[in-house]
Amino acid sequence: MIWAIFTKSVKEQLRNFWILILTLSMAPFFVFVYFLINEASQPHYQVRMLNLDEGFHVLGEEINLGDDLLPELQTYIGSVDNIPLSLKSSESRVGAIKEIESHKAHVLVVIPPDFSQTILADSSTTPVIEIVGNLTSTGYLISAVWVGEMLNDFMAQQTGRGRLFVVQETALGLSDQVDEFELWMPGMLILSIIMLMFSATIAIIVEVDQGTILRLKLSGMKAGQFLVGVGASQVLVGIIAIFLTLGAAISLGFEMRGAFSSFLLITLLTSVSMIAFSLILAAATRSVTDVLVVGNFPLFLFMFFSGAAFPISTNTWFYIGDYGVSWQSFMSAAPAISALQKISIMGVGLEDVRGELLALTCMTAVYFVIGLWGFQRRHLRTN
Amino acid sequence: MISISHLRKTFGDLVAVDDLSLTINKGEILGLLGPNGAGKTTIIRMLCALLESDGGEIQWESSATLSELVGFCPQENLYWPRLTCLEQLVFLGKMHGMSADSANNRAIELLKMLGLSGKSDVYASKLSGGMQRRLNIALALIHDPPVLILDEPEAGLDPQSRILVRDLIHSLAKQKTIIITTHNMDEAERLSDRVAIIDHGKLLQVGSVDSLKELLGSGDCLECRFETDLEFLLIEKSTEATQFIADVNHVLGQAPETTSVVQHQLIIRPFQHLEKLSNLTDLAKKHGLEIGDIQLRKTTLEDVFIHLTGRALRE
Repeated sequence: MIWAIFTKSVKEQLRNFWILILTLSMAPFFVFVYFLINEASQPHYQVRMLNLDEGFHVLGEEINLGDDLLPELQTYIGSVDNIPLSLKSSESRVGAIKEIESHKAHVLVVIPPDFSQTILADSSTTPVIEIVGNLTSTGYLISAVWVGEMLNDFMAQQTGRGRLFVVQETALGLSDQVDEFELWMPGMLILSIIMLMFSATIAIIVEVDQGTILRLKLSGMKAGQFLVGVGASQVLVGIIAIFLTLGAAISLGFEMRGAFSSFLLITLLTSVSMIAFSLILAAATRSVTDVLVVGNFPLFLFMFFSGAAFPISTNTWFYIGDYGVSWQSFMSAAPAISALQKISIMGVGLEDVRGELLALTCMTAVYFVIGLWGFQRRHLRTN
Repeated sequence: MISISHLRKTFGDLVAVDDLSLTINKGEILGLLGPNGAGKTTIIRMLCALLESDGGEIQWESSATLSELVGFCPQENLYWPRLTCLEQLVFLGKMHGMSADSANNRAIELLKMLGLSGKSDVYASKLSGGMQRRLNIALALIHDPPVLILDEPEAGLDPQSRILVRDLIHSLAKQKTIIITTHNMDEAERLSDRVAIIDHGKLLQVGSVDSLKELLGSGDCLECRFETDLEFLLIEKSTEATQFIADVNHVLGQAPETTSVVQHQLIIRPFQHLEKLSNLTDLAKKHGLEIGDIQLRKTTLEDVFIHLTGRALRE
């Protein structure tokens, strides 16, 4: 009987594909949106270089270090991943300053006429390099620091003096491997399951609307069998949604580090949790229109306050294992996102997300209890 | 046999079913006849265990489960719009625990029986209202229940579909107990072996159509419409009307309570002395009334129904 309900529900969803498309496409769409936002929000600074270096004659050969400087620095920038600079040559000071004034460039580096001479002939003095820019601009500050560092490196190389110190960076967490886009992905993956809230509630309410509940009462089928059948079809939708979202994320560079089985378990549990929550929503509504109106409130709550769309910091009330329980935990998506972040980004195993699993399971059970009670009262009562 | 005794159901202050006792015999077609809001649907919902009663009991002469015993066709057409006719019959069969094969065979048989064979692969939402009604009857029959309950089975059907459904009900009556609810007198009269007239949740009368008609006495019904627009013809209990009715009874030799005046119309039921009809013309003249037309007809179930439930409109 459950299989009959399952196949019927799948069939009807395929034939009424608009809600299915909405459910399945939302999260992958958001992945692309976040990718574009991430790309657009990556800081990148434009540096202009005006080379006035007149060169220096050594043993009958003219050496112009200023001419070498630009390609040297461009090669260096190209060889290191995280230098957010673009370096271009400028023909005139006036033209470069106009670019800075019109925000097309952040800084102008002026290589003086005696640049080569000072470096090659007179070791007691240092060349004066002028850096022009809007001193109140963050872009100027960052560009100037980067340019200064690169020039220092170049000078040390040319003079053979070596650096006075070497900086060694230590990345906190996985900040050296993971970019912001990847950090958003667990939330996006859970968002794809949050969208089940609509399709699952509609799948249940449509059955009420179409008299399936009446038929259920008149047939030998139990309400539990009916709900398991409809729920199973929604778990299938959830799995498809997850894979579509994961596919979109991987195509844009997301790398999943943890065990796939752990990832699957968390997403399946979250799907079941969302179906349980849909029961509550189904108990509060009578028609598809009701669902589309009333359903927006919990959808927005889950989307924007569980950490799915963007991280939210909250005060932790207490800890279950390593998981900090807060008001967010009332939304089962929150522990799910936390678990996925640990599994898919930090590559930990299920034993390290026991707190999240427990919180997720508990909230799912609470949703089921409330949902079944409400659904029974609203749609199954006979008095 | 189904035995209903002292059944009661209230919704707040409203008594929907009031101490109703009724026996439904095996293999009969029982029509539950009543005006809107009389409690017919409430009774059948309690019969189907879709609604709990507040008192009384319903006894079924069978050890089978209710889902095996009853096939119910609700008043509104219920179907899954995105399943084909065949798919929904098969699905409902499975809900009743039938195997896929037997549900499929039964579905094909029912589609043929209800003239829907050509529509087996069509979505139910694409069917006409009449076809949807027939599909609903097929859905009620999918598990071949011994008791079939049809809530307003002919509602929304065109004459051809009505005949088809009526023939089907008659053919099924040989093997099944059928309960139909209706407020359509013609439907009740044509379909039912017995009719139970219900109003305000109470059972007013139950019996065969002929026995119910006999409640109004043997004889036909005379209806006389007046052209004259006199006020007392509109007010049934007025002094003039009472006097006029007394005069009519006197000249026509009618017993008291057999004559009434309603909306410019004199109704005599049962009309027993045809030979005295000419006296009516003289009496009308005496009262300054001009007769429009006179009709002598058989007593109908509607006459019985109106006699028992009155003419007051229901909310």
